[in-house]
Amino acid sequence: MANGNESGKAEVSLEVSGLWKIFGKNAEKIIGSELEAASKEDILKKTGCVVAVRDVSFQVTRGEFFVIMGLSGSGKSTVIRLLLRLIEPTAGNIFIDGKDISGYTNKQLVDLRRHTTSMVFQNFGLLPHRNVIDNVAYALKIRGTAKTERYARARETIETVGLEGWENHFPSELSGGMQQRVGIARALAMDPEILLMDEPFSGLDPLIRREMQDELLDILEKVKKTIVFVTHDLDEALKLGGRIAIMRDGEIIQIGTPEEVIKAPGDAYVREFVQDASLAKVVTASSIMEKPKVLLYEWQGPKAAFQIIKDNMLDYAFLVTRAQKLLGLVPRRRLVELIRRKGISLKDALEPDLPTCTPDMVIEDLFPLATTTEYPIPVVNDNGKLLGEIDTRAILESMISESDTGAEETEGKEAKADA
Amino acid sequence: MLEFPGFLQIPLAEWIDAIMSWVLTNWAVFFDAVGDGILLVLLYIEKFLLWLPWAAVVLLVGLVAWRAMRSWLAGLLMAGFLVLIGSFGYWDFAMMTLAIIIAAVLISFVIGIPTGIIMARSDRVESIIKPVLDAMQTMPSFVYLIPALMLFGLGKVPAVFATVIYAAPPVIRLTDVGIRQVPQSVIEAATAVGSNSRQILFEIQLPLAIPSIMVGINQTTMMALAMVVIASMIGARGLGLEVLLAINRIDVGRGFEAGLSIVLLAIIIDRITNALATRQQKYAASTA
Repeated sequence: MANGNESGKAEVSLEVSGLWKIFGKNAEKIIGSELEAASKEDILKKTGCVVAVRDVSFQVTRGEFFVIMGLSGSGKSTVIRLLLRLIEPTAGNIFIDGKDISGYTNKQLVDLRRHTTSMVFQNFGLLPHRNVIDNVAYALKIRGTAKTERYARARETIETVGLEGWENHFPSELSGGMQQRVGIARALAMDPEILLMDEPFSGLDPLIRREMQDELLDILEKVKKTIVFVTHDLDEALKLGGRIAIMRDGEIIQIGTPEEVIKAPGDAYVREFVQDASLAKVVTASSIMEKPKVLLYEWQGPKAAFQIIKDNMLDYAFLVTRAQKLLGLVPRRRLVELIRRKGISLKDALEPDLPTCTPDMVIEDLFPLATTTEYPIPVVNDNGKLLGEIDTRAILESMISESDTGAEETEGKEAKADA
Repeated sequence: MLEFPGFLQIPLAEWIDAIMSWVLTNWAVFFDAVGDGILLVLLYIEKFLLWLPWAAVVLLVGLVAWRAMRSWLAGLLMAGFLVLIGSFGYWDFAMMTLAIIIAAVLISFVIGIPTGIIMARSDRVESIIKPVLDAMQTMPSFVYLIPALMLFGLGKVPAVFATVIYAAPPVIRLTDVGIRQVPQSVIEAATAVGSNSRQILFEIQLPLAIPSIMVGINQTTMMALAMVVIASMIGARGLGLEVLLAINRIDVGRGFEAGLSIVLLAIIIDRITNALATRQQKYAASTA
């Protein structure tokens, strides 16, 4: 186990391969027959069976935030239920921590649900006859945790989701957002390895939804979990997802990072889906930043600095310490002034009020920064180290998605590769 | 030609008779044991009720009614009704009737809840039992007296037996309905955290079905009360027997007194159990 964790990033937490769910009589006979490839409508007409999930495969690595997105009827909610076998798959395999759970007995399944996974539901799924703390503690009770311990743990998680003081209220007395907090607390109380969330915020109004999304991200900072998150809301998927799987008619059409999905939609359906999505919300500073051509170091004199800037035909340069820590931006015109004043320290020629950004900031947040300066925006990490610079031009260029330039471009690329 | 053809006639009556005589010869020991069991329970309840001083019973009913209905006026009224029954000279008869009702309801409860649970868990079982329950309730109640009489002889035991057959369906039905009404989303969530089927039954389904089960118990009690009067025809002593005697003697005054006592007893039992049931429901409604 310990060794497995050390192997790091690529460790697969959850894997699904060739998963099918067909509702109806003799559904299993369809798989492997010539009907398998037929359309949903044809299968319904010929057999009366409804194809909900068709040959779905994906992998989720440990600690990943994996979003399954699709419109209603796309099979996304069925998929997440299949993962726990709340619905029995018609065919295919589900691996959790490398173990195939498709053949698990009831007892093994109960064990898996008690210890490895937990789930949050769109309609909250709270027990109406139990108060908040008993709802949260229920899963622990089922698991056999001693009373004092489970209440302590429940209190702790209730605090995490910001519901302290509501322990003794019944679900019917809470608002939707608060009820879902209870649902999340219940899931977190179990300290699961994998957290499954089925449209947890869809039933909430937009303001609360955004607040809950932010809070979820906050909580996940503290407790790292593997997450499978189902949603029909593209903005939500783009905001939360490390990777997004887009489903239609029971099939996965495309899997990719938010940026990939928007910049290169897998097919016309996805393109239509994402056309209104703003690249500004997904493209990050780190993906468009460039390495500065030259750097000025704090020990350099004004004349040397001027020479460097002139040689590179620039009108500015960043000033850094030996450890590449950003001190500021030195514009050519201030440098010239400094030399005229016979100044010594480059620090006296810095541009005041220099905006900076972090690598994970999205373009949307860079726009206001770009308007305050005529120079590129430096990208620095949490320690103040200079990672790169972003030209205002690059910000605008990033807004042009590949889909806008049409399919010819991708075809052209392929042609080039062939040649 | 106008007569119904003889060859189409089914001798169902003969078959039933044959089955009954077969049961009587082969299962006599079993039914004797069941009868003794019922009698034992019944006698204890009856003895206890008759042993209690009347004032204590009146006080107890008053208190329970007050607590259940949250109104001291209701408590006073219910206690007053009971005093009225006693003032007609029917105290002991009323207690005997009450004993049969309590015994019948207890047995209905013990049989009904598990049956309801089994029905709720299987559509097939439900589709088999439901028509049986319908038949049990629509069959004229007098008909039950005959097999009860044959199996247990005259007296209180067949009265309890016939009463149970007549009164058990509501509690079975409403247990079934109560469990089936539990939202699928709640069951799914409980399953997802790893509840096994036993935990789902006892932690989720039964607690959420309690309001419905309480309504079932209320109905069962009322039906038991109705049946007790009829059961007096096979020798159950109590208020029913008084009515029966009054009919035989065309004694209007006595019949009215006994009949009114039954009505008062019915009101007391109904109001109290109904109040308990609706109090359960109030909380359930707020959660729906």
